[in-house]
Amino acid sequence: MIKRVEVNYRGIFQKNLGKKIGSDIVMIASRMGQKAFSNGRYSDSPERNGIPCKYFAFVSPDLAEEELEAECGAKLEIDEANISVVLDDTMCKGVEPWGWHGIRPINERVVKDGCLLVFSRKSHDELLKFIGKKPYSYRLAILDGDASLAGLWVNKDDFTYERTLGGIAAIDPSLISIEAVEAYLLEKTKDKHRADAARAAYESLRQEAKPPRVRTVTPNDGIEWIHEIPVLPKWFEMQEGAVVPAVKRGFEMGPRGQTRNPGFKRGTTKTQRPAVRFDLCTKCTLCWAECPDECFDPTTDGFYDIDYQYCVGCGKCAQVCPVKECIVMVDELQFEDDSSPWEHWKKDSQDYIHWVEDKKGKDRVSYQVVTGKGMTVTQGEVMPEGKIVPVRRTEEVEV
Amino acid sequence: MSVAIATAKSDQSGGVYEREDLLNGCQAVAQGVCLADVDVIAAYPIRPYTEVMDALSKLIADGKFDAEYIIADSEHSQFEIVKHASSVNARAFGGSSGTGWMYGMEALVVTATDRLPPLFVVGNRALDDPGAFGVEHNDAMSVRDMGWLLCWVTTPQEALEHVLIGYRIAEDKKVRMPMGLAMDGAFLTHSQHMVKIPSVEAAKRFLPQYDLAERRLHPDNPISVAPQANEDWVMEIRRQNWEAAKRARGVIKDAYKEFNDIFGDRYAAPYYFDEFMTEDAEAVLIGVGTVAAPARTAVRRLREKGQKVGYVNLRWFRPFPTVELRESLSRFKAVGVIDRDFAHGSPDNCGILMHEVRSCLYPAKNRPVIVNFMGGLGGRDLSIADAQKMFDITQQAAKKDSMDEFVTWIGLRE
Repeated sequence: MIKRVEVNYRGIFQKNLGKKIGSDIVMIASRMGQKAFSNGRYSDSPERNGIPCKYFAFVSPDLAEEELEAECGAKLEIDEANISVVLDDTMCKGVEPWGWHGIRPINERVVKDGCLLVFSRKSHDELLKFIGKKPYSYRLAILDGDASLAGLWVNKDDFTYERTLGGIAAIDPSLISIEAVEAYLLEKTKDKHRADAARAAYESLRQEAKPPRVRTVTPNDGIEWIHEIPVLPKWFEMQEGAVVPAVKRGFEMGPRGQTRNPGFKRGTTKTQRPAVRFDLCTKCTLCWAECPDECFDPTTDGFYDIDYQYCVGCGKCAQVCPVKECIVMVDELQFEDDSSPWEHWKKDSQDYIHWVEDKKGKDRVSYQVVTGKGMTVTQGEVMPEGKIVPVRRTEEVEV
Repeated sequence: MSVAIATAKSDQSGGVYEREDLLNGCQAVAQGVCLADVDVIAAYPIRPYTEVMDALSKLIADGKFDAEYIIADSEHSQFEIVKHASSVNARAFGGSSGTGWMYGMEALVVTATDRLPPLFVVGNRALDDPGAFGVEHNDAMSVRDMGWLLCWVTTPQEALEHVLIGYRIAEDKKVRMPMGLAMDGAFLTHSQHMVKIPSVEAAKRFLPQYDLAERRLHPDNPISVAPQANEDWVMEIRRQNWEAAKRARGVIKDAYKEFNDIFGDRYAAPYYFDEFMTEDAEAVLIGVGTVAAPARTAVRRLREKGQKVGYVNLRWFRPFPTVELRESLSRFKAVGVIDRDFAHGSPDNCGILMHEVRSCLYPAKNRPVIVNFMGGLGGRDLSIADAQKMFDITQQAAKKDSMDEFVTWIGLRE
């Protein structure tokens, strides 16, 4: 028998966190007398900011190490996952790990009665608005918390790692037991509160816990998700010399007027998207000029629409925008689709302003470039219609 | 110096040769590049290749040749310039020697995997250390597995002609692989001989315009060349390259036939290699490069003494002429392989050519006894006497039907 765990993480920011979780599942399972090993889907290229990546751990109580390796190792993708951990809930909108494969559902590999374990502040219903249907039942478990996104080749020490181990212990004690997790953490770190963090996560996912944080997802739950892995050409059907047809050049004014590569959208890389207040825009062109992915489409009335399918959420536009609250980065899970914000605004500008302010919420952050002082992040505020305020005049606050 | 010529051959072939010049191997290559109407030349000096770039810059300075001539900051940049020029449909030329060639290796590999057809001359030079200017073949042979065309010439005349033949084969749409034209550094590169220079018209008739067609990098033909492509593409790309190297064998044959049609019977079938006095031979030597001259002279002298020996000059190393060479060499009782290169620690500690020939002969019904000679390393002489010694050893092997030692070092102080 083999138990497979996959850890979905964001490139760079969670790279070490993902590896650490995979490694210590192996350490703990081994201490429990099982055979285990861990590896990563290296072709994900986890050195790219925010790209959805995977780390794996494989555990078996009865197979020899070489057999376990033969079944699970030296292959690109996990065959199936008993537990699929999601370290950032915005990945519930799907993941595009590599070009040509399209956007894949986050629960693609979760087996029948398996578990999707997500770090999130959202409810089961809110997450299931983004997750594709499966033909069988599985469990959706939520560990209350934010995505641990502060790591840059390091692991942000916010107990996400300990809590993940505790959560896995609650979902499948035969994989790693909570006692083994606690003992391991205590021995390794000598910090009781680390073991306590694992225990607290474990308790929060137990059946009798209130409110219940593990829910059975039936075949009716979730959204329709059409995903077909493209059929790749045979060797004699391809252009020679590693040549691929480029995106055909084309440009028209207006939403999606620029031609882009339909085979590799990269939008699932983002955890936040820029929300625009067109009424505050001074048409300075900076967002359009500075966007590294050319996501901004000029419109006939001098504005810049955004194609969110291609936006990786880098935040550059929000940083360079010289107008306070004009472009603000907002949690990606606030948005259900990638439709054109400019079209919405043209259709009903009042409705759009209310809609976008609602999406921005109260805990918004806005970036500002202050000459000579570098970049600061300030708490946002609701901006009345048409009131243009240069960011330079705003006061800095702690967020 | 320039001498007007009217030889019987050029008369028969309709005045395809314009004049006769005294040229060394480097200058002959430069004349070939000029006749091939090359568009872009990238250069970086390292002897013995350096004289090729010198000769080309003089041709351009004298107004005899029009081409972009770029001095690079290193071999790596030089080869990259050549590769990129080739990708925009410019006929491109480069060259190097020894460690310079190795320094640009990354660019040499991608030129092949991108299936681009520039021509590079390699004036073979020993690899450092120790620093040595003389010939060894390890530099050019280092690209043998990368999807390169690779051939050795033995005279300045062949050197000139193989610039035209090389581009003709490399640019064929069935091939499109980079062409390595190798010649023994210090010997052939700097040995002056009278060379018949084809007319521009004849060269044009033989070598069509370079046309990369659908793979030409141009704003009107938007393509991406060599994007990051992982496990779901690489095998198919390798298979394409494997196929092209296979197909090249047929294209080589056709190119020589066409060359002969225009310039007279310059090259004999099977073209990939030349056989000398092998008809009733029992023991033959096989080698690449300038060792052909002492070896063939030794054959003549030993034949006078009644010994049944012959020489095979292997011209094409990539693609390797497997079928033809197997058929040829399996006629003999013993084959001696001359390596002017080394492959330390390889099976039986033989040289690279030995491995190739031995591997080629393995499926043969009649496998000859095969022995290996390491000689001429770092530019040391391989004399007529050395060749005779190698024939002696090979003939002994034919009689004994086995060898105790596969490898004999020739000309070593011991």
